Amino acid sequence: MLELIGVAKNYASPGEKDGLCVLKDITLKLEAGQSLVIVGPSGSGKSTLLNIIGGLDRPSAGRVLLEGRDLAELDDVELAKVRNQDIGFIFQLHHLLAQCTVLENVLVPTLVDKDRSSKKQAQERAVELLNRVGLGDHLRYRPGELSGGQRQRVAVVRALINRPGLLLADEPTGSLDADSSNNIADLLVELNRSEKVALVVVTHSLSLAERIGDVMELNNGLLKSRSGA
Amino acid sequence: MSLWKLIKRSLGFYWRTNLGVLLAVAVSTAVLTGALVVGDSVRYSLMMMVDARLGRTQLALVSQNRFFQADLAGELSAELKTEVAPVLQVRGLIANSDGTALVNRVEVLGVDERFFEIGARAGDEAFWRNWSEGVVLNAPLAERLGVAGGDEVKLRIEKPGLMPREVPLTPDSDLSFFSRPIVKAIAGKSQFGLFSLQANQLPPLNVFVPIRWLQENLGKAGQANLALASGEITAEQADTAVRKCWRLADAGLEIRPMPEQGVLEMRSRRVFIDQVLSDAAIKASDGAVGILTYFVNELRVGEKTTPYSTVAAIAPAGKNIIPPEMKDDEILITNWLADDLDAKVGDSVELTYSIIGPMRKLEDRKRSFKVRTVLDINEPLLDRELMPEFPGLADVNNCRDWEPGITVDLDKIRDKDENYWDDYRGTPKAVVTLEAGRAMWANRYGNLTAVRYPLAGESSKKIAESLLDRIEPASVGLFFQPVRLRGVKAGGESTYFGWLFLGLSFFLIVAAVVLTGLLFVFGVEERGEQVGMLLALGFSPKLVRGLLFIEGGLVAMLGSIAGTAAAVLYTKIMIVVLSAVTTGSTTYFHARPTTLIAGGLSAVVVSLLAIWLTLRKQVLMTARELLSGAAGRQFLGASILSRGRIGLAVAAAATVAALMLPSLVGGEKSEAVAGAFFGAGALLLTATIALTSSALKIVAGGWKKPMLSLAGLGLRNSTRRRGRSLAVVALLACGVFLVIAVGAFRHDPLEHADRRDSGTGGFTLFGESAIGILHDLNSAEGRRKTALDPNILDGVEIVQLRVRDGDDASCFNLNRAQTPRLLGVRSAQLLNRGSFSFAATKTGDISETAWDTLNEYADPNVVPAIGDYATIKWALGKALGDDIEYSDEKGRKFKVRLVAMLENSILQGSLLIAEDQFVKRFPSEDGYRMLLIDAPQDRADSVAAHLSERLTDLGLGISSAKQRLAAFSEVENTYVSIFQILGDLGLVLGSVGLGLVVLRNMLERRNELAMLRAVGFNKATLKRMVFYEHSGLMLVGLACGVVAALMAVAPALKAPGAAVPYLSLALTVGTIALSGGVWIWIATVAALSGKMLDALRSE
Repeated sequence: MLELIGVAKNYASPGEKDGLCVLKDITLKLEAGQSLVIVGPSGSGKSTLLNIIGGLDRPSAGRVLLEGRDLAELDDVELAKVRNQDIGFIFQLHHLLAQCTVLENVLVPTLVDKDRSSKKQAQERAVELLNRVGLGDHLRYRPGELSGGQRQRVAVVRALINRPGLLLADEPTGSLDADSSNNIADLLVELNRSEKVALVVVTHSLSLAERIGDVMELNNGLLKSRSGA
Repeated sequence: MSLWKLIKRSLGFYWRTNLGVLLAVAVSTAVLTGALVVGDSVRYSLMMMVDARLGRTQLALVSQNRFFQADLAGELSAELKTEVAPVLQVRGLIANSDGTALVNRVEVLGVDERFFEIGARAGDEAFWRNWSEGVVLNAPLAERLGVAGGDEVKLRIEKPGLMPREVPLTPDSDLSFFSRPIVKAIAGKSQFGLFSLQANQLPPLNVFVPIRWLQENLGKAGQANLALASGEITAEQADTAVRKCWRLADAGLEIRPMPEQGVLEMRSRRVFIDQVLSDAAIKASDGAVGILTYFVNELRVGEKTTPYSTVAAIAPAGKNIIPPEMKDDEILITNWLADDLDAKVGDSVELTYSIIGPMRKLEDRKRSFKVRTVLDINEPLLDRELMPEFPGLADVNNCRDWEPGITVDLDKIRDKDENYWDDYRGTPKAVVTLEAGRAMWANRYGNLTAVRYPLAGESSKKIAESLLDRIEPASVGLFFQPVRLRGVKAGGESTYFGWLFLGLSFFLIVAAVVLTGLLFVFGVEERGEQVGMLLALGFSPKLVRGLLFIEGGLVAMLGSIAGTAAAVLYTKIMIVVLSAVTTGSTTYFHARPTTLIAGGLSAVVVSLLAIWLTLRKQVLMTARELLSGAAGRQFLGASILSRGRIGLAVAAAATVAALMLPSLVGGEKSEAVAGAFFGAGALLLTATIALTSSALKIVAGGWKKPMLSLAGLGLRNSTRRRGRSLAVVALLACGVFLVIAVGAFRHDPLEHADRRDSGTGGFTLFGESAIGILHDLNSAEGRRKTALDPNILDGVEIVQLRVRDGDDASCFNLNRAQTPRLLGVRSAQLLNRGSFSFAATKTGDISETAWDTLNEYADPNVVPAIGDYATIKWALGKALGDDIEYSDEKGRKFKVRLVAMLENSILQGSLLIAEDQFVKRFPSEDGYRMLLIDAPQDRADSVAAHLSERLTDLGLGISSAKQRLAAFSEVENTYVSIFQILGDLGLVLGSVGLGLVVLRNMLERRNELAMLRAVGFNKATLKRMVFYEHSGLMLVGLACGVVAALMAVAPALKAPGAAVPYLSLALTVGTIALSGGVWIWIATVAALSGKMLDALRSE
């Protein structure tokens, strides 16, 4: 499903000749339905790694293979299509469209597809997913009328609407209270299983990490198994 | 859910931001479309005016001081199968019954039903039916006089003489006719009340009277001097019809049998027969004899004299008393004269006669002849009919009643002279050869007084036919002019206010567009994270841009619709102002749908361009940057490192282009001048803004030293959002540019107005009369003849100008004058005084000697002319060296070439040509109808009152020269005010932009400000820092606008009368700065209100 081979990331820095190295030789492999949690302190490069995996950023070295395709070989249009069809994103801040209803927000990713015949199916799926996350009664609510946990659940459903093979979550509970965080964690786990979607979660919350699955730690640019492997 | 729905949702949700964009687009649309609609309205009104003043008239035959038979109109109508109306048109003056309201120059039009049928709209009250008495006033005149139907008015009408008043032997009395008619009706626009042949903006002041009544009272029975023709006919067709229909009487000629003398005699109503007619008359039939009879002052042999006698000059041809071999220095005298002078064959007889020079100055001349033969006074060929119908001679019974137009010393008239008059009337006492006679008495009005044909020869009909075949009707003023075509041209070629307004509105439109872009950017930045999310979800940048572009486009379209509606209001306001400028004329609102659509669409396109440009930059950011909130932060990239070199290059290139533009555009015409001004202005603004951009870059990228002051910190801050800062600078610069650039043209016309080189020419009074003044008002003789008090006029100098009416080419007239009014001037009078100043001449010499260029004729068909700056540049749209085609009163075309340009002056509206050229082209224009009066300032009022009172019968109206100059300048200054309003509007936009930027900057930097608060800055200090930052931007904006404006107007300020009102401009800039400062302070206080530390805590 997802394979990272020797991925590194450097940023230009006035004080360092070779730039600031954020990621060093990251290699990992993730199959469908598998889940991975990456933890690490602030500034360790967790989000950068997630952005590289999601095609929002490009590595300085190494390769990112998604379903066997090297993301580096895709142009912007192809990359956008991959993000739309194959990857689902969940952000720390939900980034819902304040002007749209819950249902509409969930359907936003489907707007990229011009095939009108799939629109109805997408709407049915959106309603179904929202029912599953307990928001079936809130279809016409606006984000401003929801709690933080509810908003994040909408963001999760939005990430799944196009049936992606890979779900990326960047501090999905970072802005939530403990109860809401737990709910979201459970939801991610449940969806990971039921939707057979590979899940990569970046968080600095160990408790969240432990609720979701395998945990790896990113420190000083190196990704290591939590157990030290 | 669909993309469309997403757009709709966004439109509604971000309504505040969108409303801002909508309003900015609405402003640019309103200004752009409004400018075009103003242009449409002015053009439309001018065309409406053509209809109002000409009705269905297509062509006009304007013979002015020559009169044709009114019946010719009927014959032309039948020939052309269209309506032709005869009119007898003269000038006059009119007052209400108690004399409290007087209008000095009115057109008195003798008309009949045919006139109104051509011009009046069907269905209106037909007051002209069965109309035999009373006058009809047009509405503007009735309003001026305050009279209505049934009121009595005092009407004085110019009385054209049998011959022009400046013809020798013409009396200068009986110049006008007075009556007290009742106003029968008031003629409105639909009743042809605004009839006028001149394409003038101000409504004509017309008095309509029954043509028969006028003919009778002017002694012009059955005659007319104007014919109007309707229908789709060309001037050539009409002229052909004239050639076919005209008779001798239409040329003022008649042939009468004289059985006693055995001849047919051809005479002219004008006494002297034009050379073109006399030449043709001589050739018209065999045996024709030309005769020129004159009234001489004295015949003398030695000490013996005979006063006041007629002497005939006769050609030695046909049946004649002049022997073929008679020499030009020989004379035949009658036995009566021989007895009186005691003269005999071989004696020398000296003739003394007077000729009339300019201003009817009599010049006595003498010539001696040798007596060849003494004739019997009863010689049949020496008859009393040889004396033409000299007015004042032929119609009086005794010598003491003579008024021959020369001074007659009654003491010299003896009883025997009275007896001679009783017995022989005007029978010549002596005869000379025609050549000798012509050498003495031929003048510009003719060189014969009669042509005689043998009675036994061809019939008078045959002779008339032969004569008419040989002459062109145009040579006696009978030719049609395409007056409608000319009117339409005058309206069509008028200064298109649309472009003028658009040009000046350009900077305002730019400001509105910049504001549109700024507001749109704010909206997009506000949604930066949303855009990032969409990109992260797989929306391509193109799709996201498309969504935002469509959203912006819809807002722009709605703004455009609102703006188009606002444009209607804007135009109506402008029309009110324009109507106030051209007092008395009406400007109608007229918006062509195509103009509204074009204006609206143009604004949409321009706004979309601004939106697209801003979007292009915004969506260049990656999803990651946007999601992390980077949209709100300025990144200092590689471009900064260029240290603003690009900006400096742009600034240098734009400045060079601006400096070169006037020479590249070339030409002195108004369009070129305006184009250069607008182009240079835009380039200079670009240059100053590019320079600012560079400066910001340099400060941002190259200022290594720490900025330890609040102002320094403010300066640093202003470089963070360079685009935003530049937008503020551009917004303010546009407004300031307009205000300053336009304001620089405002000037005080009365500054130094007492000086001779000023626009008044050093004259204190300006006079115009309805009837030509024949005498020299500077001479004692002239003052005596016009009953002027020499004591009151002591020290008063008057320059008299001849006037040929034409289109008003002043700023009061929005039409493009086709044939402006001509003034005949003796240039030496103005040269010697050093009156007026020259702005430019064809030769480059702008000293007062430029007046001499009026007398330099390289081409006999080209007449040099001098005009006022505003007349040539704006009213005519011409440049020096350009020609204007005129027709003289005989229909011959000639060119008036513009050779010099006066600085703005009281002569605005007319072109000046040399008096001798004037007289040559328009010999029938009697006297002087314009006076430039130099009276001592402290006696100006009494001089004006005296002249007005004594010359009231001539319809002399006198005004202050300064007031006249001020009136012209007032119009110009009103235009300046209109355009300054546009500048003010630009400043409002600038202020709005500035305020929004302050608020936006503070909103984005609230965390930073909170941090500063946390480290100990108090609110007042922060306010000062924010104030320094934004007032710096404001000052830079002001500086950019002022510098660009002064550089752009610098060439124009070399124009005449231009004097930069530095003080008022400095005050304006100061006021703008002050008001900008207040707004910044208000915005700063508003932005920094509330608990700023909360922002830090929430972070």
